[in-house]
Amino acid sequence: MPAASGPSAPPAPDVLGVAPVVRVDALPPRGSRAVHRGTEGAPAPTSVLAALEPILPEVRKPAQYLGGEHHQVVTPWGDAATRWLLCYPDAYEVGQPNQGIQILYELLNGRDTALAERCYAPWLDLEERMRALDIPTFSLEQHLPLWAFDVLAVTLPHELGHTNLLNLVDLGGVPHRAADRTEEDPVVLVGGHAAFNPEPLAPFIDAAVMGDGEEVVLEIDDVLRDAKRAGLDRPALLRALAGVEGVYVPALYADRRTPDGRLARTVPTEPGLPALVPKRTVQDLEQWPYPQRQLVPMTETVHERFSVEIFRGCTRGCRFCQAGMITRPVRERRSATVQRIVEEGVASTGFEEVGLLSLSSADHSAIGEIAHDLGDRYEGTTTSLSLPSTRVDAFNVTLSNELARNGRRSGLTFAPEAGSERMRAVINKMVSEEDLLRTAEIAFSQGWRHIKLYFMVGLPTETDEDVVAIGELGLKVHRIARSHGRGNRVTLSVGGFVPKPHTPFQWAAQDPPEEISRKLGLVRRTVREADGLRVRTNDPDEGVIEGLLARGDRRVAAAVERAWRLGARFDGWHEVDTLDLWRRALAETDVDLAWYSYRERGEDEPFPWDHLDSGLERQWLWEDWRTALKGEQLDDCRWSPCYDCGVCPGLSLAHDTGFEDGLLPVLPSAGDLPVAAERYASAGAPAPTGEGRA
Amino acid sequence: MNRLRIRWTKEGRTRFLSARDTASVWERAVRRAGLPIAYSEGFTPHARISFPDALPVGVASTGEYAELTFVAPVAPADDLGRLSATLPEGMDVLTWTDVPAGAPRLASLLPATLWELVWPPVDATALTTLLRDRCEDLLAASSAEVVRQRPDGARTLDVRPAVVALAVAARPAPDGAGARTVLRAVLRNDAPIIRPTDLLAALGDGFAPPALVRRVAQGAPTDAGLDEALTGAVEPVEPELVAGAA
Repeated sequence: MPAASGPSAPPAPDVLGVAPVVRVDALPPRGSRAVHRGTEGAPAPTSVLAALEPILPEVRKPAQYLGGEHHQVVTPWGDAATRWLLCYPDAYEVGQPNQGIQILYELLNGRDTALAERCYAPWLDLEERMRALDIPTFSLEQHLPLWAFDVLAVTLPHELGHTNLLNLVDLGGVPHRAADRTEEDPVVLVGGHAAFNPEPLAPFIDAAVMGDGEEVVLEIDDVLRDAKRAGLDRPALLRALAGVEGVYVPALYADRRTPDGRLARTVPTEPGLPALVPKRTVQDLEQWPYPQRQLVPMTETVHERFSVEIFRGCTRGCRFCQAGMITRPVRERRSATVQRIVEEGVASTGFEEVGLLSLSSADHSAIGEIAHDLGDRYEGTTTSLSLPSTRVDAFNVTLSNELARNGRRSGLTFAPEAGSERMRAVINKMVSEEDLLRTAEIAFSQGWRHIKLYFMVGLPTETDEDVVAIGELGLKVHRIARSHGRGNRVTLSVGGFVPKPHTPFQWAAQDPPEEISRKLGLVRRTVREADGLRVRTNDPDEGVIEGLLARGDRRVAAAVERAWRLGARFDGWHEVDTLDLWRRALAETDVDLAWYSYRERGEDEPFPWDHLDSGLERQWLWEDWRTALKGEQLDDCRWSPCYDCGVCPGLSLAHDTGFEDGLLPVLPSAGDLPVAAERYASAGAPAPTGEGRA
Repeated sequence: MNRLRIRWTKEGRTRFLSARDTASVWERAVRRAGLPIAYSEGFTPHARISFPDALPVGVASTGEYAELTFVAPVAPADDLGRLSATLPEGMDVLTWTDVPAGAPRLASLLPATLWELVWPPVDATALTTLLRDRCEDLLAASSAEVVRQRPDGARTLDVRPAVVALAVAARPAPDGAGARTVLRAVLRNDAPIIRPTDLLAALGDGFAPPALVRRVAQGAPTDAGLDEALTGAVEPVEPELVAGAA
């Protein structure tokens, strides 16, 4: 009689050799944890590894929980005065390549007095087992519990990690509400793009950090170390953190409401706090050439390559693009610096691929030289170079040719974003149909075999004609593709637009998912997929939670908490359908999705992020919104006169456009960065106006 | 053509790396070590590092092998030392040999595997007796069919022809916390490949899965165990009972 082989069933009681369940004491009760929180010499908390290892064979992709990557830094617990846990609130495969985390990791671990480890969200299968075995959220380096660290610093590149953030804190043995945390709990910090409106997370975070992290993270570390040495209590620590430029402590601000419950204004509740919290801007990227010792994953991630940020910021002025608005001004790295970072990075990591990153890499003032020199350097090797740029023009094809000298002319990606000339004028995506078709002609004639085009539907003022135009444009590019070879392919990737804070479209109504769905159907019907022409559409439901959280206020926090309690996690994943949980949570907490998302705002409506300053003048954003509605475009200020968006004057940056010392368009001027007090009115004073700025 | 064959380990946390992960880890380590590795032709060239067979995820090993092809001569002692140092903790190069022209394929030097299965420090006396009896029964049988469940359907396999030698012992713990039952098996690598899970199925029920499975070494089967492929050293099937050997 054949016996069964394969995954074993749970052993019966009379079975021999059953392993006892390994438990570690890594979740001591609150009240007994302070001993691990001391500065140098404090004893390390118990590692969870002994309990984790036996359950790893039962979970999906176990290698993601092991750490041990090349370039990881392991510092003995007692050697540091401050201890950071850097977190990307999503699965390892998505979070590991994040550059922000790797920059902070390198900077903090470069300090004698600090220690930084990383954590990511455990997948549902592991979380279930962790909760059953009292295994708290852990770091990858030494598998130490979250609760023992001084800071949990979470990067929020978008809004779909919010429920994971609450879950990680709770799973880490720490109260998920900031008000319930004490001196023995970590400070929960958020940064990244979604931190520019942290209001839906206000009750759960201790602070949000606005803008570039390189300088501010070290200042926060100083404050933290001094506070620990001085034995400050939690309110005093939070007050000290709020004194760091760029740090916003929600508990020290109140959201004033109108009699009918709508937001009137968010104001500081103590004297001396800025009425408008400024973002941080690193003026000279040359001084911050990080990350260099990039972590090399041992298991699959979404981007396995050595990445170098060739410049930060973007002034193309695409009106839908939050990243382009909140990261201004443009700051470039020099060609020589880029090449040095690449050369050293490829040698020290062993990565086969190099990515030249930025929001629009072909716009670097020396990109031709960078592409040519790197092309020379790696010609004939197996190191491949990529320019994940979306600019639509012939120059971009030339650059890609330089970078693909080793013969891999596989695919190019362009982002026209909208199908009709009118719609592209509205969103300020300055590319004509003629440009696009000529670019496609050049690309296919030079041996590229696949072009992927990114589009959005649900844009302001959009008509069905604009939507149909996406399909028609796709058909035209497809005809060009086929004229150069039967194997050539075109992919149209179409998603739904989600309005974001600090952009000219922050006043816009978002299309409900049913309308997005109808429009995606229009594109599909127009195209009638032919050989080599594919349409890929995003799930119309995806933008619903993202849109709500992007522009939500503090009242939305109740829904975030409820959705998490109901089980929402991994809101950005197809594998986990959380929209029904969210709809229930919204109903139970009286949060009106239509009011938050599907309604156009008026000029004077207060926004939940009005007290958080991305540098852009609200008045300028409004004017650009009105200009958009008229279908008029605005030039890139790198190559045309300044239009006073508001970002540069406060930054002591030379405010000239044009080439200067090889870097475009702004360079640090002499003198120190003005302090918050000089740039911003103190508490209680009216929000600064254009004239009030330096 | 410069080729080297090596024996290497996949211990500790690296035992959870998949075959695909492992290949990337090796390729990057070879690049970091600056070795003149050869690349395959084609659209996406790959470093010419070949692994004769994949190890199941979660299984540890001191008996992994690889053949590396270089475009220039290498100095194995230095170069492989550098490679071993830059591989992740748990992966180390143990031995190496040159590959003379006309040498038989690496896979042909690996006709059998010595596996070691170690149970948790529970019921060692009773479990050792039970497994010893079951092993004797299996060795005495002419066939031992098991059903292997796979996503693409069930398959019946005869385990017995692959079994060369079996040995069971209780290994005392280094810290005196309790002995562990150890089962060592020399299994032939001929198709269909019989894995330790198949062997366990053929041994019946009444015992839990082992806490750790390890591929100890590969080579030519002998009465005592096997002759390791690269060095010819004898790897006995009888478990070492020295405390701490696990």
